[in-house]
Amino acid sequence: MPTKTLLMALIAALSAILILLAVFWEPVPPRPIARIAPHERLPAATAPPAGGEFTLQGAQGNVRLSDFRGKVVLIYFGYTYCPDVCPTSLSLLAQALSELAPNERERVQGIFISVDPERDTAARLQEYTPFFHPQIVGLSGTAAQIARVAEQYGARYHKQAPDAEGRYAVDHSSATYVVDPQGRLTGALPHASTPTQIVAAVREQLASAASR
Amino acid sequence: MIGPTCHGCPDPTSTCPPEKFKAMKFRSSAITLAAALAMPLSTLAGEADLTVVAPYVRMVPPGTPNSAAFMTIANNGTSDRRLVKADSPVARAVELHSHTNEQGLMRMRQVSAIEIKAKSRTELKSGGYHVMLIDLRQPLKEGETVALTLTFDDGSMSRVDAPVRKPQALLEAEQASAHGRH
Repeated sequence: MPTKTLLMALIAALSAILILLAVFWEPVPPRPIARIAPHERLPAATAPPAGGEFTLQGAQGNVRLSDFRGKVVLIYFGYTYCPDVCPTSLSLLAQALSELAPNERERVQGIFISVDPERDTAARLQEYTPFFHPQIVGLSGTAAQIARVAEQYGARYHKQAPDAEGRYAVDHSSATYVVDPQGRLTGALPHASTPTQIVAAVREQLASAASR
Repeated sequence: MIGPTCHGCPDPTSTCPPEKFKAMKFRSSAITLAAALAMPLSTLAGEADLTVVAPYVRMVPPGTPNSAAFMTIANNGTSDRRLVKADSPVARAVELHSHTNEQGLMRMRQVSAIEIKAKSRTELKSGGYHVMLIDLRQPLKEGETVALTLTFDDGSMSRVDAPVRKPQALLEAEQASAHGRH
């Protein structure tokens, strides 16, 4: 009977496909690491971040951005419990500072602003940032103060849910903001910028300040 | 719908008569089945050969509770392996973590495993995978070594002594600038 033969053939074909699938089908594995795409520009917002003046808490009291007028200021937002991204960024920043000539270096200031003020007190930050370079100052503040400065500069952060022991991580953007000697935000260096790139950005600002 | 091509027919593009097609399919199924049976055996025969290259633990400022271990794991075996666990006496908790950069936002997440494909290597490096050392029991000093025990999905374990030092990225930068000066 032709219908029966056709059915048999169909069953055979389907079984063969099933076996083939079982043997050869390999689900595409998830990509192990998303390739780090440096964000050249800040993520699209309604208006570009304006930067500008702020007052935060240093170990010796209030610290204002305007305290560093005349210097190129490099601002990084992070937290001291950060195991990888922040120490890497601060190490690269420190390396860049060491590569500058002494007369250049004295016109540069690094600022590390904690996005975890709950745990990072100004005193704690004073232990932390000089380990990388003496010219990096650590600043903290109230949650509201930090949020305002982050918004001014276009930095983002999200505290993650704590584990059973109360330990938590903070997702955060990892750009280094470049402020010119007049206190104006001129741009952001993406995460993992090399010391050479940081040095170039600093020299560009020093040169344009000198030509004015 | 295009009918199955007939390899046993004088004209290979012609459609198979049902009987012949059926016989052919059964034959190919048998071959597939044999292949299916043979494959796991060959996978088992190739015992994975894992090597841990250049492990290190990041030196952190005094009083910093967390650090991370980095390394390259090479898999010379013929089957994929997964790093499923890491332990160390220096930290109260040890976790496997990944980083993803989502439009500049660095997200660190715990992962259940880190895959090392057959005949391949996986780098645990800054900005990617790392073994996170949480709540350090003692400060880590440069030059010391940290004992790490890595457990893989096949139950095999690897004991690694990772020196405490500056991050790889920084060392590379230092080498590059030293090279530039010469």
